[in-house]
Amino acid sequence: MAEMTLVEAVNQALAYEMGANADVIVMGEDVARNGGVFRATLGLLDKFGPERILDTPLAESMIAGLAVGMATQGLKPVAEFQFMGFIYPAMDEIINHVARMRNRTRGRLTCPVVFRTPFGAGIHAPEHHSESTEAYFAHTPGLRVVIPSSPARAYGLLLASIRDPDPVVFLEPSRLYRYAKQEVNNDGKALPLDVCFTLRSGEDVTLVTWGAMVKESLAAAETLLASGVSVEVIDVATIKPLDINTILASVEKTGRCVVVHEAPLTCGVGAEIIAQVAEKALFSLKAPPERVTGFDTIVPYAKMEKYYIPSEKRIIEAVNRLMEYA
Amino acid sequence: MKIFHLPDLGEGLAEAEIREWYVKEGDVVKVDQPLVSMETAKAVVDVPSPYAGKIVQLHGKANEIIKTGAPLISYESDEVVADKGSVVGKLETSEKKWNDGDVIVGGAKKTSTTIKAMPAARVLAQQLNVNLSDVKPTGRDGLITADDVKQHMNQAATSTTALTGATEGLRGVRRVMAQTMAQSHREVVPVTIIEDADLTDLPPKTDITARLLQAIVIAAKEEPALNAWFDGKSLERKVFNEVHIGLAVDSAEGLFVPVIKNAETLADAELRKKVDEYKKSVMDRSVAAKDLQGATITLSNFGMITGKYATPIIVPPAVAILGCGRSRDTVIARNGQMVIGRVMPLSLTFDHRAVTGGEATRFLGAVIRELQK
Repeated sequence: MAEMTLVEAVNQALAYEMGANADVIVMGEDVARNGGVFRATLGLLDKFGPERILDTPLAESMIAGLAVGMATQGLKPVAEFQFMGFIYPAMDEIINHVARMRNRTRGRLTCPVVFRTPFGAGIHAPEHHSESTEAYFAHTPGLRVVIPSSPARAYGLLLASIRDPDPVVFLEPSRLYRYAKQEVNNDGKALPLDVCFTLRSGEDVTLVTWGAMVKESLAAAETLLASGVSVEVIDVATIKPLDINTILASVEKTGRCVVVHEAPLTCGVGAEIIAQVAEKALFSLKAPPERVTGFDTIVPYAKMEKYYIPSEKRIIEAVNRLMEYA
Repeated sequence: MKIFHLPDLGEGLAEAEIREWYVKEGDVVKVDQPLVSMETAKAVVDVPSPYAGKIVQLHGKANEIIKTGAPLISYESDEVVADKGSVVGKLETSEKKWNDGDVIVGGAKKTSTTIKAMPAARVLAQQLNVNLSDVKPTGRDGLITADDVKQHMNQAATSTTALTGATEGLRGVRRVMAQTMAQSHREVVPVTIIEDADLTDLPPKTDITARLLQAIVIAAKEEPALNAWFDGKSLERKVFNEVHIGLAVDSAEGLFVPVIKNAETLADAELRKKVDEYKKSVMDRSVAAKDLQGATITLSNFGMITGKYATPIIVPPAVAILGCGRSRDTVIARNGQMVIGRVMPLSLTFDHRAVTGGEATRFLGAVIRELQK
């Protein structure tokens, strides 16, 4: 067991799987010699050599296209986009080829690529380095969207994503990259995909969240407990496909549901979760569900960033509004 | 492994020559410790170490030329390099530890279940102050509907079973009685005090009803709080100087309460005359509506029929009613002796929202004192 940050856990998972499976190829801008913009791939070049860790040109469309070729022909490419805001030139490859290769070829070819990218605000970076657009990918059939929220889940879920026979968009909350350390056993054990993680059990309110917002949600739950409100915190982890059954079971227990995400409100994944709760657990609801999210704006620059990211205070206020209903 | 590449030692110099190594492979060096003396086209300079650590390789010997940017020295490094560098942004770091001790893969075990209710049913229950756990669900899978909440309210309102067969709707004074008594039951906080008046020493043929009316007039002067009206909504009361005594009169049609206005101005004979007039007018249904209104206190002389004590019901907005039971001979302890005496049982109900127990008991004491005179 070693203590490591979230980004170190990503590094360890990549190193473990490259060692275990010679087909795993890591590529992206500055990932080899430089070790990646956040140093997620540090040391991999020395360990595995330039044939398995490739510095690519500044051309995201090409990165994704290369990955399609490798993945359909038997390799396991793990491609990094430096920031989520840089991913859009690759959308054509991702949506038109990666997501639908299995369907288009009637199962003859699969496309087991992992696209890693840091995402989210809170690191004082320009706006296209700060956004959370997981909903674009969740909306596309054929893609799996996975978001870790701790070093242990980053390690276990990245291993699972690389081992999955289909494409995964793996979104790493950059705000949590070096936030805190955790004991992680570098034993190559994957965590399950497509299942929520209940981080905290509670009786009064179900708080559904993922990624960096897990930090504020857990803090809000701790504060609320002091005022006698018991909050269950669920880390969705796999945004698509959604483990709605875990969320429904919790809401049927608590009767109240708040979804917290950093992405903008409109058409965010929170809307999908609330819709399913309304469809399937309406009669258990004691109060109207709420979303606590970023705003329908571009993520502001550094000075205003903290007003954009849902705060512990906003989460507590939402929970208290729900608690007004008996 | 970390590699230190030869930096540009001047302004755009392409290379430099190694003059002398100050360290050797295997040495552990500190940051800024001089590593090597390099000669450029312009000068001889000492190159300090940018890192602390163990040197694993020197990339060149004395007198060799090293290109700017080429490897100069390799350092040993840990597997996880403590490199805080990032091209863009500022990452938060902390001493905090992630604790995943209680993380559950999937959902937490259910420890309780909520009541399933339609949203409209929840809103209705909240408005009507109904506890949903008391409501019997009739919807699918134990779902409480809005109708279930209404049904629960109806049952609570009419706890008696519904009448079947031929029924008779109440009319007239009987209907008014039903409504007035229910209103009193909902609003008034009644307390009843009972006591006996000793009438042994009264001369025979005394007009007891007239004496009772006079006693009420005098007691009302002493404790005016009982000769009053009270409004429970605005919490206001009106205490009267005049005494308008409602007299409960039984009839086949129902209960009438004609009012003896300004009883304080009437002598015994006048009171008797008024009582007789009212009894007659009730029997022949000639009693005027105006004579049935405005009582400030009520007397119910039910003892003329039967019964000792009662818990008479106040008619709002009045705050007191005196019930008079049947007089009878009984054994009384007097001066240490048992004697046969004549007593009249009295029951005074007062509204405790408007009247104190002290006021009420003093009022009853005054009535008895006056009766026994």
